[in-house]
Amino acid sequence: MELSARKVVAVHKRQITNKHRFIGFALIGLLVYILSNIVDEWRSFQGATIAVYVVAIASVILLTGYSGQISLGHGALLAIGAYSAALAQIYFHAPIWICFAAAVLITALFGAILGAAAARLSGPYLAGTTLALAVGLPSIANQFSILGGEQGISFDAGWPPLSFGESFTQYKWFFWIASLAALISMWWVQNILRSRYGRTWRAVKTNEVAAEIAGINIARSKVLAFTVSAGIAGLAGALLAMTVNNVSPSAFPLVLSFSIATGAVLSGVNTLGGVMIGSVALVAIPEIASSVSDRWSGSENLATLLPEFIVSALLILTVFLAPKGPIEKLRSRHVH
Amino acid sequence: MFEFINTLLIGITAGSIYSLMAIAIVLVWRSTRVVNFAAGGLALASSFVGAAVLEKTGSFWIALPLAMVAGAVFSAFIEYFFLRPLLKRSGGKGEEIFLPIVATLGLLGIIKSILNFIYGDRVGSLPPPLSDKGFIVSGQSIALSPMRLLILAIVLISMVLLTLIFQRTNLGLSLRASSFAPEISRLSGIRVDLIRTVGWAISGAAGATAGILQTTNGSGSIAPESFEFSLLLVFGFVAAVIGGIESLIGAVIGGLTLGIILSIILMYVGGSLVFFAAFLILILTLLLRPHGIIGAKGGRRA
Repeated sequence: MELSARKVVAVHKRQITNKHRFIGFALIGLLVYILSNIVDEWRSFQGATIAVYVVAIASVILLTGYSGQISLGHGALLAIGAYSAALAQIYFHAPIWICFAAAVLITALFGAILGAAAARLSGPYLAGTTLALAVGLPSIANQFSILGGEQGISFDAGWPPLSFGESFTQYKWFFWIASLAALISMWWVQNILRSRYGRTWRAVKTNEVAAEIAGINIARSKVLAFTVSAGIAGLAGALLAMTVNNVSPSAFPLVLSFSIATGAVLSGVNTLGGVMIGSVALVAIPEIASSVSDRWSGSENLATLLPEFIVSALLILTVFLAPKGPIEKLRSRHVH
Repeated sequence: MFEFINTLLIGITAGSIYSLMAIAIVLVWRSTRVVNFAAGGLALASSFVGAAVLEKTGSFWIALPLAMVAGAVFSAFIEYFFLRPLLKRSGGKGEEIFLPIVATLGLLGIIKSILNFIYGDRVGSLPPPLSDKGFIVSGQSIALSPMRLLILAIVLISMVLLTLIFQRTNLGLSLRASSFAPEISRLSGIRVDLIRTVGWAISGAAGATAGILQTTNGSGSIAPESFEFSLLLVFGFVAAVIGGIESLIGAVIGGLTLGIILSIILMYVGGSLVFFAAFLILILTLLLRPHGIIGAKGGRRA
C-alpha cells in the first residue's frame, strides 16, 4: 500500500513537467480573471478571502506536511505580517507592493527567531509553544499605542488604477491583488518544495537520524522551513489586512489559527496540490450553512452554530477517511 | 506587601485550577499520546451537567460529583468511539501528532455546537456554594475566602487521590505500565485498551472539576462560548507543557507557576500582556529545558 502510493507519486512526477504546471497556473489565472468580471462585490470579497486562505494554508502545509513541524499558531504570524504592512504604510508611506514585501521579510525574520527555538522542540512542546504564541502575540497590540490598541490601525491598499475604467470596483481590485499574490507564492512554494531544500525537509521529516547521517544539518533545515513558512504566512496576513482595510488584535483570534490548521487538514497536510479544497471549504461552508438554516428554520441560533458543526464534522471525517488528504485518497483509488 | 500577598493568593487559586486542567491533559497524553483539545469542551459540557444538577437539587455537593462522573463518561466515550479507531490507522511522522490534535479540535467544535444547540443564549449558573467574601485579617479583607479555601482543598484532595491511585493501586501500576511500554504490558496480561479508556475517564473527571471550579471562582455562570473556558484550556495546556507533559507533579508545578506569575503581571504590569507573558514563560522554560521542568533529559532519539 505504502509502496504503491509512492510509485503513483513517482509516475505523476514523470508525467507533469514544469511547463505543464505553468500552463495550469496560467489557466487558474485566466479563470480568476473571468470570474472577477462576472461576479458581484460580495463574491469578489469571498474570492479574495479564498486567495488569502490559499496562501495561509500553503504555509502550514509547507511547515507541517513537508518539514514535520507542528504549528497551531499561524494566526500570530499572519498578525505580524499584517501589522508590518500597515506600519510600513503609515510611517514610511510605502507603496502597497513594498508593504507586502515588508510583511514577508519581517515575518520571515521573526519566523527565523521562532524557528531557532522551535528546532529544539518537538511534538506537544512545539504545539504548546505555537498555541501560546497564537493567544499571546496579537494581544500585545493592546499595550502599545503605536499598534492602535483594540481599534487597530488602518491598512489601505488604495483604489484600483483609473486606467482600469470607472466600473472597476474596490473588491474586484482586492480579488486581483490577492489572487496574483497567491499564484506567485504558490508557484514559488511548489518550486522550493521540489528543490534541494524541499527534499532536505522531507528527509528530515521522514527520518531524522538517517538524514543526519546523510550529512543534512537538521537544525538549519528546520529553521529554514520555519522561516520560509513564516514569510508566506506574513504575506497572507498582509493580504487579509487589505481585504478588511484594518489591522486589529480581534482580527487574529485563536479561532483563525485553528481554521488555518483545519483548512490544512481538509486540503491534505502533505500535498500542496489540495490547498484549494480547504480554502474553498472554509469560505463556502458558512455560506452554505446560512442558506440551509434560512430555508430549514428561521432560528438564528442554528445559523450561528451550523458552520462550526459542519466544519468540525468534515474535519473528523477527513481525519478518519482520508488522513493523507482528499487528493492522495483519489490517487490511491485510481491505481487499485 | 499586603497587596502582594493578595496577588499571590489569587495566583495560587487560579494556578491550582490550571493544574487540574493540566492534569487532565497530562493523563490523556500519558495514556494515548494525544494532545487533547477536546478536554476544554468536555470540561464545559460536564460543567453544564453540574449546573443542571445544581438547578434541580440545589446542592453543590451533589452537583460536583455528578459532573465528575459525567466528565468521566463523556471522556471515555470519546476515547472509545473516536480516538481508538483513529489511532489504529496512524499516519506518518509529523501527522502522527498533528492529525489527532486536529481531530480533537474537531471534537471541541462539535461539543460546543451541540451545547449551543441545547442551550442557545441561555447560560448555566454555578454560584459559589460558600461565601466568597475574604477573611478579615487585622482589619483588612484578604483575598482568601471560604470559597477559595474550598477550591484549594478540592484541588489538594484530587491530587492526593490521584497520587494514591497511581502509586499505591494495581490500577495505577497498570496505568503507568501501559503508558511506559504498551507492548510489554500487553504481554504481561494488562488490557491496555481498557486501561487507556480508564485513563481518559480519570482525565475527564479532573477536567470536569477544573471546569466547575473555574466557573465558581470566576463569573459564576457558563455559556457555550465562554471565554473562561478557552482560557482554562490554553493555560491548562501551557501549564502541562511547562511541567513536561508527562508528569503529574510537573503539571501542578507548571499550573502554580503560571497562575502566580500571571497574577503578578496582571496586578503590576497590565492586563493585556498576560497572554504574551504566558508565551514568554513557556518559551523560556522550554529553551532552558526542552522537555519541560520534569521532562526526560536529552529526549528520545531513533
